[in-house]
Amino acid sequence: MSASTESRGAQLVLNIYVGLFCLYLFLPLAVMSAAAFNAFDYPSVTQWHGFTLKWFVALAHDQRLLQGLYNSVMVALGVIAVSIPTGLAGALILTRLGERSGTLLYSVLVSPVLTPGIILGISSLIFWREFGVPGGLFVAVMAQSSFIASYAMLLFLARLQRQDRTLEEAALDLGAGHFLVFRRITLPFLAPTAFTAAVVAFLQSFENYNTTVFAVGGDWTLVTEIASRLRFGLSPVINVVGVIFVALTLLAATAYVVLKGKPAR
Amino acid sequence: MGSLARAYGRPLAALIAAITVVWVLVLVLVPLGAMIEQSLWWRESKGDTSLAIDRLYNDMSTLQLDRSSATDPARQAALDAQIAEKQAQATALEAQEKNPPKVYGFDNFTRISELHLYIFARTILYALMVTLLALVVCYPVAYSVALASGPRKAVILTVALIVPYAINELLRVYAWLMILDYRGVINGVLGWFGLVDLDNRGWIPFLENPSAVFVAMIYTYVLFMVFPMVNTLETLDRNQIEAARDLGASSFRIHRRVIIPHAKPGIAVGCIMTFMLSAGSYSVPQIMTRGQGGDWFSQLVYRQFYESNNWNMGSAYAVSLLVVCTAFILIMMRLFGVGLRDIAK
Repeated sequence: MSASTESRGAQLVLNIYVGLFCLYLFLPLAVMSAAAFNAFDYPSVTQWHGFTLKWFVALAHDQRLLQGLYNSVMVALGVIAVSIPTGLAGALILTRLGERSGTLLYSVLVSPVLTPGIILGISSLIFWREFGVPGGLFVAVMAQSSFIASYAMLLFLARLQRQDRTLEEAALDLGAGHFLVFRRITLPFLAPTAFTAAVVAFLQSFENYNTTVFAVGGDWTLVTEIASRLRFGLSPVINVVGVIFVALTLLAATAYVVLKGKPAR
Repeated sequence: MGSLARAYGRPLAALIAAITVVWVLVLVLVPLGAMIEQSLWWRESKGDTSLAIDRLYNDMSTLQLDRSSATDPARQAALDAQIAEKQAQATALEAQEKNPPKVYGFDNFTRISELHLYIFARTILYALMVTLLALVVCYPVAYSVALASGPRKAVILTVALIVPYAINELLRVYAWLMILDYRGVINGVLGWFGLVDLDNRGWIPFLENPSAVFVAMIYTYVLFMVFPMVNTLETLDRNQIEAARDLGASSFRIHRRVIIPHAKPGIAVGCIMTFMLSAGSYSVPQIMTRGQGGDWFSQLVYRQFYESNNWNMGSAYAVSLLVVCTAFILIMMRLFGVGLRDIAK
């Protein structure tokens, strides 16, 4: 352990504060999770009617939620298909552009990340109506891709900055064609980033609500369906969805700590 | 462009450029333009059009009556002409009623009602307060996470932050709904102590207070403030702090002169993200008020689109929100002296 930069008293106060902050983050989630196992019909922890798993069974028979899950996965796959190639193309151009024109293009390509989600949803909805496409899963894919492609681009851009360009140039000098160089050197170098970007895109798409709710029209994804359930009639089935989300996230986080913690020892 | 072609060859370079152009046009600029265009026109439908049509038809039936009792052919012809004229007017008005003419102007922006303007201002104010509070709450957390001693501790702390961050925002809001509900956790605990009488609906109606939205919003977006700050603070050389301390600077002075200046880009990014998310949030107010109240501006926008079916007005609202958010970003960038490239790291 390296020496602390704070006095012992200050360090103690700081640790307590961070502990309280983590408690603040986790306690509401614990409340929500606990209610999934309560036999009472209304999601609650203070009116405890005994332990049950019946809400899990109810979820398994909930057609709209299951259909929403399917729709969410389809939209997320669509977003990956759109945003990974576009993000890659944008990053490749930006690394080769000069300072001034590069900054302008960069601003345009990054702007969706800084735009409120509802505005992305609205502008896509209006744009696609001009072509006779009403709000639905397709418009949701387009609306989400407009900012998720920016995230993918930022990931690719970071990777390309660490690229050793002499490799490509050497291959070209040795007589390899441009396609071959791109396929055998550039793409393999970017492959890990493409995988990361796809995972990020999937999660961002799956979790998205504010953009999707405007673009999705009469269709629904898992998240928009949860939102309308929260509006009309609360049921512990939603808590079950919550428990599953929390459990999966904890599992992933634990795996991450174990994998990351090992080589550090 | 030339260097792109040199590196990847003409066909590939053209493909890359084409994809980027399509992205910029189809996903970013043209939809934005379409939204702005939509906000700049409306259908001129005068409320009294149908009344005028009714009056014309009344006049016509009176004239018809006159005509059937008239015997003089000249008088008959004159009445016929009058009827025909009224009929033509009515037909024109009916066409206008069915398909009102498109008029361009800023009326969608100036026609906003006083109540909606008030909600707009309140939304911006609340979003600023959420941002400020999140900044104050998060600074110590980001500081201790970034400078945590020992790699394991840092990993565990980061995970402790990432897990709630990764949980869907709706579920995080829902958790607070359960806490603040009429028979929620807080009222339940108060009930056990006999402070509120739950059996006779004597609970405290937290959800009916706008601050419920405020509380849930801080919970939902607080982590968007933490991560950018942690990222910049992690690059701070700890020796700088040690040196300042050895030279006799107080803790307060070290924060003010060494740590905060270093964290500036992170603070700017955190503030921009938090403000943008909370000002444009639809999920939090919608769930916390369960769709009853129109407490947040985003809810008004949604209603213009999906309930009033007034896309022009809705677009004008959306453009107003976008203008405020853009202004906030520009002000923060100027204030903290950071560029767009620092923001998107």
